[in-house]
Parts: sequence; C-alpha cells; structure tokens
Amino acid sequence: MEDLPKGINMRCEDFLSELEKIPVDAPATRELLAEVLEEARRHASECANCEEAVRVLAETREALAGMKAGKTEPGPWFVARVMRAITAKEEEIEESRNSVWLSVRRLAPRMAAFAAVVLVLGGTWAMELRRTDRQTKQPEKNAAESLFETTPSAPLNDDIVASVTEEPQQ
Amino acid sequence: MGGKAREDDRELVRCAQEGDKAAFEVLVRRHQGRVFAVAGGILRNREDVEDIAQQVFLKAYFSLKRFDQRAAFTTWLYKITVNECWDLLRKRKVRPLVYESELTEEQGEMYLATEQTAEQTRDASEQLETKQELEEWLNCLDEKDRAMLVLKEVQGFTVEEIAAMMEINGNTVKVRLFRARQRIAERIRRKKRAARA
Repeated sequence: MEDLPKGINMRCEDFLSELEKIPVDAPATRELLAEVLEEARRHASECANCEEAVRVLAETREALAGMKAGKTEPGPWFVARVMRAITAKEEEIEESRNSVWLSVRRLAPRMAAFAAVVLVLGGTWAMELRRTDRQTKQPEKNAAESLFETTPSAPLNDDIVASVTEEPQQ
Repeated sequence: MGGKAREDDRELVRCAQEGDKAAFEVLVRRHQGRVFAVAGGILRNREDVEDIAQQVFLKAYFSLKRFDQRAAFTTWLYKITVNECWDLLRKRKVRPLVYESELTEEQGEMYLATEQTAEQTRDASEQLETKQELEEWLNCLDEKDRAMLVLKEVQGFTVEEIAAMMEINGNTVKVRLFRARQRIAERIRRKKRAARA
C-alpha cells in the first residue's frame, strides 16, 4: 500500500475518507463541507492540511465540471445493437461449426475413394516389396549355407597316383 | 447498488447462463449506462465508447457461463470494461482522452451544435479553449490516475467501485486521487497567477 501524503495523520485520513464520499452532484462545490459530518467540518477548520484538501477538491471539481456536459450516454438503440451483434456472432459460430461438418460430409466419398486407392496401392507395394525381398534373400541364404556345408570333394589325384604306383609293387 | 438489485442481477445472470437471451437483454438495459460511464471515463471518444461498450456486453454474454457469481455482476462487468479499454489504448498507442479540442474547428462546431445544453449559446471557440485547457491539466497525470479522477469526479463512481474495477486497494485509490487533484489544482493556481501577472 502506498503511504498517505506527509502530514496526514489518522484523523486526517478519516476526514479524507469522509470527503471522498461527497457525491459529484453535490449542490455546489463551494458547499462541499456541508455534505460532511459536523465533526469533520470542525476538523477541517482546525487542520490546515485538510482545509487544503477541501480547497483542492473544490477546485478540481470545478475544473472538471465542463466534462460532465460531454458525458457519453447510450442511445436508445444501443440494447438492440448489442442483441443484434450477439445473434450475428452466434450465427457466425454456428455457421463455422456447420461449415466444418458440411465440408467433412461433402468430402467423405472422395476421402473414402482416396483411402481405398491408397490402401490398394500400399498393399500392392508391400506385397511387391516382400516378394523382391524374398528373392534377394534366397541367393544370400545359399551362400551362407555353402560356407558351412562341405560337399564331398573328389579324391586327390595324388592318392590315385599313389595307389596306382603302389599296386604294381605288390 | 442495492441488495435487491444485486439479487435481481443474480437471478437474471442465472437465467442468462441457462440460455435465456431476454434475461441478458434486461441486464444490458440495466447496466449500459454505467458501462458507458466507465468506458467514457477512460476513452472519452463517443465512437470508441460505444464500440467498447458493445464489445464488453458481447464478451460478457459469451463468457457468462464461466462467471461463478462470487463477485457482483457489476464488478465483473466493470472489470471487463476497464480491461477492454486498456487493450484498445495499448493497441492504438494513442492518448486516452480525446476531446473536442482535438477536432478541427468545423468538427468541433458540429459537435457543439448537437449538444442540447445551456452551454449551447456560449461561444464555440471559448468552449474549445476551455476543453483544451482541461486536457492540458489532465495530461500532466499518469494514464491510470487520470482515469481514476475522471471516473470519480465526472462519472461519479465511488472509491470502492474504482478499486474493484482497477483491482487495487481502496486506500491506494484515495491516495492517488488526492495526489492527482493536488497536481491539477497546482496547475490551475499557476495559470491564475500567470493571468493576474
């Protein structure tokens, strides 16, 4: 909370609160004090600060009095204008909600057809991918198998030679 | 605002929350004057005040379901008004108070011609001069102090109402009003001294 201006004690604060309660349409700014309690009036006559506050209030109100003439009042059509604006806004909201739903409904057959085409194409592509994948994997599998599987090798020619040469010795 | 009117407001708000548009229309009719006064205290330009007031009621209508009635309907409505006004000023970054003195001489005269007051007979240029002076005095104040002063001394709101709508302490409002008045009074005295000299 901000502090009260210097020189304003508790009683002065009460007085200032009283002063703030004086309505703006008080009979005349010069008679401001007539609107407050007798006790407050006595206080103002004794306290220079509060006397000054009354004077300042009177001067400000007098200066601002010219603004009251230019006060903006609602015209007789204002309520109707607000209610029309509310209806228009509601219609706008409803319309935008409907337009989203309508466009969804309008596009539904096309979206279904598109989804079907995508499904068929995707399915075909997946099948094709699987097939080619299997084909490319087959030789690899064979190669892997050949690494570990030993095919019966032909007898070394040396053995034959040896046996051929050994036989006549017997 | 009286207790009965407040109770009536509660009932009307409840009906409006259930979709009763007629109830909301009654609320608009009842509070339009005060909404104009709050917006007028901050903006002063008739077109702006009308647009903001409409905007306030639109906003109030569409967010009414979220209003839990813990505070008075008027306090809630004035808060929306103050926020809308600050938003507009922030967007525009213009001086908040637009007086006739800012209009061209021709526009000013047209404005004055529409005023059905006793002052109508006064010389237009003299009146414009007074308004210009008033604007100068108010321009020496901070934006919020100026709004507070106009709301209090022109529109007739109480300190408590101003405190609630600006979301500040009542004592702070009193102190700021006191200082704002002092500054204006000082300027008036200075001007009077200069005129005498």
